[in-house]
Order: sequence, then C-alpha cells, then structure tokens
Amino acid sequence: MRDVFTEIWESVRRNKLRTCLTGFAVAWGIFMLIVLLGAGNGIMNTTEANMAGINSNTMSVYGNSTSKPYGGFKQGRYIELTERDMALTAGPAFADHVDEVSATLSQSGFMMTYGKRYFSVGLTGVYPDYARMNRIEIHAGRFINRGDLDACRKVIVITHLQARNFLGGKENYDSLIGERVKIGNLSFKIVGVRQAAENENDTEIYTPYTTLKGIFGKSDKIDMLSFTFHGLDTEAENEAFEKEYKRVLNTVHGAAPDDERAIWIRNSFRMNMQMNKGRHILEIFLWVVGLFTLLSGIVGVSNIMLITVKERTHEFGIRKAIGANPWSVMKLIIAESVSITAFFGYIGMVLGMFACELLDATVGSNPVELFGESIKVMQDPSVGLDVALEATLLLIVAGTLAGLIPARKAAKVKPIEALRAE
Amino acid sequence: MLIELKDVNKTYNNGQPLHVLKGINLDIDRGEFVSIMGASGSGKSTLLNILGILDNYDTGEYYIDGRLIKNLTEKQAADYRNRMIGFIFQSYNLIGFKTAVENVELPLFYQGVARKKRHQMAMEYLDRLGLADWAKHYPNEMSGGQKQRVAIARALITRPQIVLADEPTGALDSKTSVEIMELLQQLNREDKMTIIVVTHESGVANATNKIVHIKDGIIGQIEDNRAHSASVFGTSTIMK
Repeated sequence: MRDVFTEIWESVRRNKLRTCLTGFAVAWGIFMLIVLLGAGNGIMNTTEANMAGINSNTMSVYGNSTSKPYGGFKQGRYIELTERDMALTAGPAFADHVDEVSATLSQSGFMMTYGKRYFSVGLTGVYPDYARMNRIEIHAGRFINRGDLDACRKVIVITHLQARNFLGGKENYDSLIGERVKIGNLSFKIVGVRQAAENENDTEIYTPYTTLKGIFGKSDKIDMLSFTFHGLDTEAENEAFEKEYKRVLNTVHGAAPDDERAIWIRNSFRMNMQMNKGRHILEIFLWVVGLFTLLSGIVGVSNIMLITVKERTHEFGIRKAIGANPWSVMKLIIAESVSITAFFGYIGMVLGMFACELLDATVGSNPVELFGESIKVMQDPSVGLDVALEATLLLIVAGTLAGLIPARKAAKVKPIEALRAE
Repeated sequence: MLIELKDVNKTYNNGQPLHVLKGINLDIDRGEFVSIMGASGSGKSTLLNILGILDNYDTGEYYIDGRLIKNLTEKQAADYRNRMIGFIFQSYNLIGFKTAVENVELPLFYQGVARKKRHQMAMEYLDRLGLADWAKHYPNEMSGGQKQRVAIARALITRPQIVLADEPTGALDSKTSVEIMELLQQLNREDKMTIIVVTHESGVANATNKIVHIKDGIIGQIEDNRAHSASVFGTSTIMK
C-alpha cells in the first residue's frame, strides 16, 4: 500500500499545478453538492417547523359550502358543523379508527387587560385534547383540563409573548399563574402560559369549550371538529376513510353524499406523507444537480489522467518489460485517480459544510420580513453524517470511473514501447 | 538447451504484409555468451522482441528451459519476463523520477518482495557494480556508463535465466563501451550467466563467444568466436 502511495506522490509531485487545477473542479462539485443539500435541508426543516403544530394523526373538519344541489337545496349552501356531528364522529360508525373527538369554538375581537397593559385577542374554546393534537408547548402552569370543561371554569391559557409583556419583559411565567385578567367585562384566571406559534401572529387565548359556549350563548354550532385516529396507514386507506366520513356527514346535513366540498377535512397524516414525498423529490433533484456539477470535475480528472498516461507511455512500457502485469499498471492509474478525487473532494466537502454553517449563522438565524410576517427562510441548513458517507462513497466510485478509461489505456501499453528510443 | 527456436515465423501486417522472420532455428545453451548481428531491417530486433517475450510470433515454437512460450496471457508473459529475462536497453530505460536503487528494486517490487528485502538486495547489486555511492542519485545525475550499470543491476536482480541486451553500448563512448562489454564477459564467465547481445557493431559482437548472423529474416552463418578473432574489420559486417 505504501508503495502505491509513493508512486502516486511521485506522479502528482511532478504535475502540481495541473493536479490542483483539476482537483479544484472536483472540490467545487462536491462543495456545490453539499451546499445544495444543506440549503435544501434548511428549507425543508423550515417547512416542517411550520407544520410542527399538528399531531401527525389528526383530522380537522370544517364546514364549507356545497358544490352541487341536493334534496331541494341549491348548491353553495353553507354547512355548519354542530355538536351532533361530534357525537356522530365519536359514535359507532367510526369507532374502528377514531380515538378522541374534540371541538373548538372561536370568537375574536376581545380586549384582554392586565393592570395597565392590554391586548386585542381572540378566544378559542377548546377540549383538553387540543393541546396534544396541536402539540401545544406549555411553559408554565397547565393546559385546560377536563375539570375546567365540566365546571365551565373561567380559566385561560395565554401565549408566552403576552406573558412576557405582562411581566414587563421578564420571563418568570410561573408568577402569572393564578393571576386574573379581564377579557371584555369578565374576569378570567390564567392557568397556563404556552409557546406562541412561530411565524404567525398568534394571539389566541384558550379557554374551555363549555365556558365560551356558556358565556356567549352560542347555539350548538362548532367552528371546527377534530379527532385523532389510528389504523389508517396508507394514502388509500385515508382517502377511503375521508370519503366515507364525508358521505355520513353530508347525509346528516342534507348534502349530496358524494359532495366532495360540503365539508372540508385537513388530514395531517396525509399532509405529512405529501411533505415527505416533496422532500424526497427535492432531495433527488438537488442530488442530480450536484452530481452534474461534480461530473465536470470527474471528466477533468479523467482527462488529466489520459494525458498522464500518454506522457508515461514509455515508462509503462519499461515497467511491463521488466515484469509489470496489466493489472498492476491499471492499479497505479486508478489509485492515482481515486486519490486525487478523494483528496480534493474532501476539501470541497469540508468547505461545503463550513459554508452550510455560515448559511446557518446568516440566513438561518435571521428571519426575513415577508408579506408582513417574519419568516425564517432556512432552519439548520446542514447535511448529516449519512450524506457525508454517501459523498465519500461517491468520490471513490467517481474516482474509479474517472481512472478506468485511462487505466485501461495504460494497461494496453505494449512492452515493446520500452525499446523505442525516447 | 536453454533456448530453442524451431521454425519461428513472424509477419507484420501493416498494410503491406512484411515477412520479417522466415523460419528461424536457433539453439542457445545455458552459460553461452552470444551475439546476434545483423543490419537494420534484418529482423534482429523482431527476434529480440520474441526472445524477450515482448512480442508474439506467428508459427513455430519457442522454448525457454523446455517451456513452450506461446499464446501466453499478458499476465503470464509479464511474469515470465520478470522471472526469466533480464533486459538491458540501448537507452538504459531507467525511470527518471526514481533513484538508482529504486530502479534496481523495481523488478522485485513486481514479484511482491518486501520493501526491506528488496532494498537490501538492490544495494548488494549496486555495490557489486561499484555504484553503492550512487544509490540515492537520480538517473539524470549519472554518466551513461553509470546508468547502464544501474540498468545491468536491474537486469540481474531477479537472477534471470537469460540476459537480453539490445545494443547495450549504442549510446556510450568507445571507452565505456569496452568497460560494459568486459562487465558482461565477466558476468558470463564468473556467474555462468547466459547473455544474448543484439548489435550491429562488429566490435561488440567480437566480445562475445558466438556470433549469430541474421540477414533478411533468416539465420546465416554462426561463428564460433571463443578466440575473439572476429576482426573488428570483419568481412561480412557493416562497420560502425
């Protein structure tokens, strides 16, 4: 092995500039590949972070308007979900898949006052499951519980941004638990402080569903019905379930059973699936772009190796005359090609990872103002160890391929070449 | 017999077929010191290529030490060249970016001999040829005679059955030429090395014990030259 490296070093040393220029193309190719994949990961991470507020097996159901006339009604009639739909969802018809059902009710346009500070807020009446379904993170206190719901307690969960404001910028959220605030004319007790959703103007105040309903004397209408489910593992199963679900609810509301738009379902499981698909496609696309960039580097290495072989024809003739077999000559060229590719490829890879860190420190940590909202364009743009390993393998394969044609050419040098005068 | 050639024919097919060797029959015994002489175009280079397993022949048989050298794979041919034949070339053919000792080691490298062992052996051979002090030098730092002696060390290091020398003095001045030929004579005499020299110089041929004349692809006269009496101004040769 050491002999092989000595030979490679001897060869490379004689052509430093040429080797470096070729190596630059390889380094550039791998650099681009790593940066592209890192940036792609960053963008996908951002999308995923925006989706993180939803449990992956939750369906949210909303009323919508009918898309076709049915049973004497014209199309375009608005369907409103009611508590009866909740009972139906939780009932025996869907017992195979549905776990827990909850509903929300929203009312906006309140003023929340604490001391001299006040906010314009919206109130959302929720079930205790809401926290789990929507992955709500509690900083202090607790979320709405079953007791609150049953007793119609006037309790609320506020966001950490509101809490921080109440505390004058401090973050000892615990001290706010048990404090009372005024919403409209009513006094509410703070039981919890939650993390406000990122990238959104999230000012929702959570209160028990029953409380909101009791106070504002709403009918049994609900804004949104959501439920967790199990046993729907494929796209097709989900689709079938959604179809059946719509059929049942449509029937109850007097809409055409096959009306796809009378009620609207947001299925987080399917969204996740589609996002994974999207991620996969993006990744393949970036790999292809990166590979083509790398290809020009590889062709460069192949080219330089061809020149090397041509220059060393006489030498290979001598080697063969004194007993080198074709394979040992091939080995020499392939090893040189792999070494050049791997060495410069690694430099490119390290620089690429460094660039990803740089991207993280600049674009990654500074949200950009876009459409009035602050959006993080990239979150944690980096590549994992798996990509580094794949890239290493890729470099070795690429180096071998680059060396293959020149090596075959070298192996075909006839030993008679040795007799030809230089 | 160490070398047996039986009716060896070779034709080059580059456009016009060229029948270069027209039935060569030649026996060379172990320990002989033979020169093959001929003018350019006589077929002596082709004969050398075949003897050195650098090229194939079309018909006939070629035996080294009873082993038929025919239809070898490249790998086999390389192995035979490595173990049975030592080459000395007109232009030395040392590898320029390797030192003298590395050049001498190279055939052993292809035999898979360990680094230390082959280095030690290479130093021994360089020492024998009086070049121990030049071991770390590169070929372009040496004189022609020194380079050719390095090449001879490289040819000898595998202890080959045959040493094939192609115009070994072609690039040397007359004084060094004499030294090199004396060195070859000494190797033949003291080590019983079988040496075949291909040349068109009568002076070189005269240093050998047997002169095989080749002309137009056939072997003509075979002279016994143990008395080294074939005059430098021999009758049937072309003068340098």
